Amino acid sequence: MRECEIKREERDDLDIVRLDGALDSHSFPRLESTLNSLRDSQRHRVILDCTGLDYISSASLGALIGFARRAREHQGDLRLVNLSPKIYNIVELLGFHKILEIHKNIDEALAKFGA
Amino acid sequence: MTPEPASGATLAYLLFILLAILSAGLFFAIGAIRRLRHERDELINQKEVIFGFIHDVGDVFAHSENINLERMLDRVLFYAVRTTRASAGAIYLFDKAEDLFRARAVSGMFPPLSGSVEASLATAVSKSEAVEQLVRSQRVARGEGLIGETADFGTPILIEDAARDPRVPAYQLDFLKIHSILLVPMRFLQKILGVIVVVNRVDARPFIQADLNLLQALADQASVSVHYAGLRDSLDEKQRIDHDLNVARQIQTALLPRAIPRIAGLEMAAFNHSAQEIGGDYYDFIKIDDEHLGIAIADVSGKGIVGAIMMSISRSVLRAQAIMSTDPSEVLKGVNRVMFEDIAEDMFVSMLYMVLNTRTRELHVARAGHERPILVQPHDPHCQIIDSAGVALGMADRDAFESLLTETSVVLSPGDTVVAYTDGVTEALNAQHEEWGVDRLFETVHEAAPDGAHAVIHTVQQRLDRFVGGIAQYDDMTLLALQVAQDYNSAL
Repeated sequence: MRECEIKREERDDLDIVRLDGALDSHSFPRLESTLNSLRDSQRHRVILDCTGLDYISSASLGALIGFARRAREHQGDLRLVNLSPKIYNIVELLGFHKILEIHKNIDEALAKFGA
Repeated sequence: MTPEPASGATLAYLLFILLAILSAGLFFAIGAIRRLRHERDELINQKEVIFGFIHDVGDVFAHSENINLERMLDRVLFYAVRTTRASAGAIYLFDKAEDLFRARAVSGMFPPLSGSVEASLATAVSKSEAVEQLVRSQRVARGEGLIGETADFGTPILIEDAARDPRVPAYQLDFLKIHSILLVPMRFLQKILGVIVVVNRVDARPFIQADLNLLQALADQASVSVHYAGLRDSLDEKQRIDHDLNVARQIQTALLPRAIPRIAGLEMAAFNHSAQEIGGDYYDFIKIDDEHLGIAIADVSGKGIVGAIMMSISRSVLRAQAIMSTDPSEVLKGVNRVMFEDIAEDMFVSMLYMVLNTRTRELHVARAGHERPILVQPHDPHCQIIDSAGVALGMADRDAFESLLTETSVVLSPGDTVVAYTDGVTEALNAQHEEWGVDRLFETVHEAAPDGAHAVIHTVQQRLDRFVGGIAQYDDMTLLALQVAQDYNSAL
């Protein structure tokens, strides 16, 4: 599996985080440190672009939900966009499509953020 | 002829008899009411204690990977005393090097269980300190006294009236007197780790069977962590990491059912294959009552030790909730209520929980974010999916979880097969990084189902092995199958 590349791009008061590869136990620490640095710098409005995401482990999904929950406490949120059918299936099976905000693309998520 | 009027004396006599009967009745009625009231209070009490216990178990093991043995034992003893409403307690651990038991945690005024000690205590300045010191300094040989007996036989001992039992020391000093005593073994795999002892309920009543059950459940849970904490205390960091995986595997093995219950008219089979990193899968069969069987399969999001401890908590919480209802969605709601409060915010457990009425063959299914079970019926060319909605445990608060959870049911006919699995099965990878996939699983299950539940498990295992070809897997694989016998009706 391809190791996941994580790129963060700041746009005004929100961040777009792009994932490329497999979010498994090898890439998990990288995801964790990205989320921690967002949290530490009080960046609570985040769009997660999953265009290049081939796989996501349960630990990674847990970390995303934990982040979303905290972000909501600060009037922010985490919005997932561009999910492949495979990734959507994983999210849906766990019932997380009901607790995470999922949008078709970045524009839709931006609109929801009122940006 | 009119009857002769009764004389005054006869009347008074009759009145006296009537009053006597009435007052005797009243006397017995008051007794009965008191007894009923006491039983009711005891039941309410028990219910509160059980709820408290479920909460405590979560608490004992939260972050238990970071604490040392002494603190872990103090914590376990604290809950042991609270759960049983005991006035004092102690945990004796077996010391391998010395080949004897020593008290490693003491709470309250716990009396020594052997030796004549009163002379020295009568003059001690701080009695409680002196007693604790004495208890901690005593050595208990294998097979010696009640501790040795509990450990040797590996079974709990409940003594309601200790004064009449020669095994219990009789003290003259009031604060040492033992009225009622309860001992349970701490076991891990086949090994006895130690014994938890509690004495004298605070309400002055003797301990009862329910106290024993709760204490044993707590001891079973604690043993896992105590075993691990003990190991860690005696090993350096490097060795510890080497042991981690082993311990996780041992915990997992200890938690899986040793045998699948035998139920007339049902064939059941299961397999669990742990991955290198131990993914935290488990399954369980719970006999709820004479005609309800609970069947659970779950996948914990954490791996290694953390995953194994989470698994152990999930199993306990589920087992405690399962006996309260035959309605799987109610049970999962109860589990989530406990887990949501008590587990780390980024951990979750996907769980499928089904309750089968073995008389009516009605299967109720609730799914907390787990893989949907498969139903194969004779002559049906396809596998069916038993679907219902729900979020994984520990991720949604009470309102969200409960509003999203639905339950579905199906009445099974003779020959019907139900298969549940974890994602490790369908996500098993071969050398080309291809997944085994849902289609291959369904095809295999469908082909093997006519030959029974064991055939399903066996065939899936065989084909999976062939597919992955010795490639180490990242995730655990767990699969269980049940089939209603073709001759179900005659089996009853």
